[in-house]
Amino acid sequence: MRLPRLLVLIIGLMTTFALVAAACGNDDDDGGAAPDSAGQTDSGGDSVGSSSSDSGSGGDSGGSISGSVTISGSSTVEPISVRVAELFEEVEPDVQVTVDGPGTGDGFKLFCEGETDISDASRPIKDSEAADCAESGIEFVELRVGIDGIAVMTGEGNPVGCVSFNDIYGLVGPESTGFGSWSDAGSLGLTTSNLPDAELDIYGPGEESGTFDSFIEIVLEDIADERGQDATTRPDYNANADDNVIIQGIQSSDTSFGWVGFAFAAHASGVKLLDVDGGDGCVGANADTIASGEYPVSRSLYIYVNKAKAAANPALVAYVDYYMSDDGLGTAVSDVGYVNLTDDAKGATRANWAGR
Amino acid sequence: MAKARLIGDRTSKVMVQAMERRATDVRGRVFQITLLTTLLISLFILGVLIVDVVVDSWGVLTGRPGGFLAGTMRSLSDDPKLGVHQALVGTFWIAVFVAVLAFPIGIGAAIWLEEYALKNRFTRFIELNIRNLAGVPSIVYGLLGLFLFVKSLGDLTGGKSIAAAGITLAILVLPIVIITAQEAIRAVPQGLKEGAYGVGATKWTMIRSQVLPYAAPGIFTGTLLSMSRGIGEAAPLLLVGAVTGRLGSNPSFFDLSAINAEAFMAMPVIIVEWVQNSGRDPGFAEAAAAAIVVLLVFVILMNAAAIFLRNHFEKKRG
Repeated sequence: MRLPRLLVLIIGLMTTFALVAAACGNDDDDGGAAPDSAGQTDSGGDSVGSSSSDSGSGGDSGGSISGSVTISGSSTVEPISVRVAELFEEVEPDVQVTVDGPGTGDGFKLFCEGETDISDASRPIKDSEAADCAESGIEFVELRVGIDGIAVMTGEGNPVGCVSFNDIYGLVGPESTGFGSWSDAGSLGLTTSNLPDAELDIYGPGEESGTFDSFIEIVLEDIADERGQDATTRPDYNANADDNVIIQGIQSSDTSFGWVGFAFAAHASGVKLLDVDGGDGCVGANADTIASGEYPVSRSLYIYVNKAKAAANPALVAYVDYYMSDDGLGTAVSDVGYVNLTDDAKGATRANWAGR
Repeated sequence: MAKARLIGDRTSKVMVQAMERRATDVRGRVFQITLLTTLLISLFILGVLIVDVVVDSWGVLTGRPGGFLAGTMRSLSDDPKLGVHQALVGTFWIAVFVAVLAFPIGIGAAIWLEEYALKNRFTRFIELNIRNLAGVPSIVYGLLGLFLFVKSLGDLTGGKSIAAAGITLAILVLPIVIITAQEAIRAVPQGLKEGAYGVGATKWTMIRSQVLPYAAPGIFTGTLLSMSRGIGEAAPLLLVGAVTGRLGSNPSFFDLSAINAEAFMAMPVIIVEWVQNSGRDPGFAEAAAAAIVVLLVFVILMNAAAIFLRNHFEKKRG
């Protein structure tokens, strides 16, 4: 009987590795027990009240609530929710916040099945998604938490400095399929800037991305409606889910064209952020112009909170309360590279939450 | 008679030619150098990869190796609590699942196919299918895991859990385990088996005392290599539902309740996630490189275990 002994040996060796890794230092926040996943989907709050078994760590700073919060949705909003959870952990170490980021659409699917407590979204909920939620009896409150600009970019060597919505429609709109040069944008009969006859390589996010939807909605939809076209982009461009790959593509050619979230573009080198004219003159993308709404290609970021779950789960309420504080809407949002709402808009969000 | 002499003549001619030629065998040397070059190319690529990730991760690995191993997923790369502990726990238990499930089942299936199955059309059909399964893209196994182990058997596995991911990866490597074990068993000399029968052994005794000990080194090399492949898979884990943002809990390696908890993390997924985050926060590139080194060390340790076991059994066989 050699084989079983061998298996024991292998597992033993791997356990040794685990021991070594574990011995390398378990720091303070290691103690949290696994979440009680069984009842979590129905009532995340049923572990509340049973005072936690390991109150030794950080118990001095409050820590009166325990429970768990499950968040899914937009990968764009994900870092904000994670950052809020990290800051919140300092106050309430016994609340376990799990954040996933499969995308806004996938997030709403889970949210409307009652799987998650909060859904992160980089666009407002669609009517069809709201109908799904209504069908399964899920009421929610929409909270606007921050702003993300969409940066429109080209290669460093491109003489073009500013593009209008008409230009963008001519370059990447549904009627531009097959256009290989910037100057082709003028052939649609729209009023466009004087674009050079230079090779056009387009890089952008794919259909699964919230950035793709927002870009169409903000820039292309109105013009497409006017011209009786579907609100979409041309299909023949280099679509990628990874913003780094999009930026590398834009870097690779002087006369490339592309768009990604401002948080990504702000760190990119070797690319040129184009000013955008949304009807009120050319505006460059930076934190100020995005917060004030002057920069025309920006979008709001939201979280959607399940009302029934909030009523049943004090941990969820505490987390969203913290989200609504200046630590959340202020510090956390700017920590991860997004733009804060104006004070008025913050007030409106807080009022929404308070009036749920 | 005439024919034999002819061959003899030719042989002697070749011999004379060989002796008269210059001492160096040019073609032989060229062939040898070509082979050496191919070896060096593959070693060079491997070397560049390793040097690249080690250089990229140097700051993290030398600065705070313990903190990185004990840390958790964070939103900012300069957070002192950033680390791979949750992912390492996930990958460790996934590896245990693969070892406990795929190895016995795979080796058992291989023994049956080699020693018991009739060599008929049906057996050939099964073997063909196993070979095809070994070539199925891993994302397809991820879909299987999502529908079977996360949704249908969710009560058993705990949904999007380490258990569901472990079973999915066990099934992913199963065909490879079967094929490599079959090869090893097939390499057992017929004489050994017949010898065992000759002294009156039953089939079971023959397999236990002759086939398995002889084939063990080959079986182990194959199984642990397939394990290395399995724990490096990211795509199926993403489908099964590895968390990408934040895992609320940070269980230890020995916390068994974490196995079917409704959220988990694994090394390949954390690497993908951090590489993507590096656009928003460039410091994550360094963290991703450090995570790659940690995964590499994990795999090397497992391979070292395989080599140790193989040598152990080779000695026994000799």
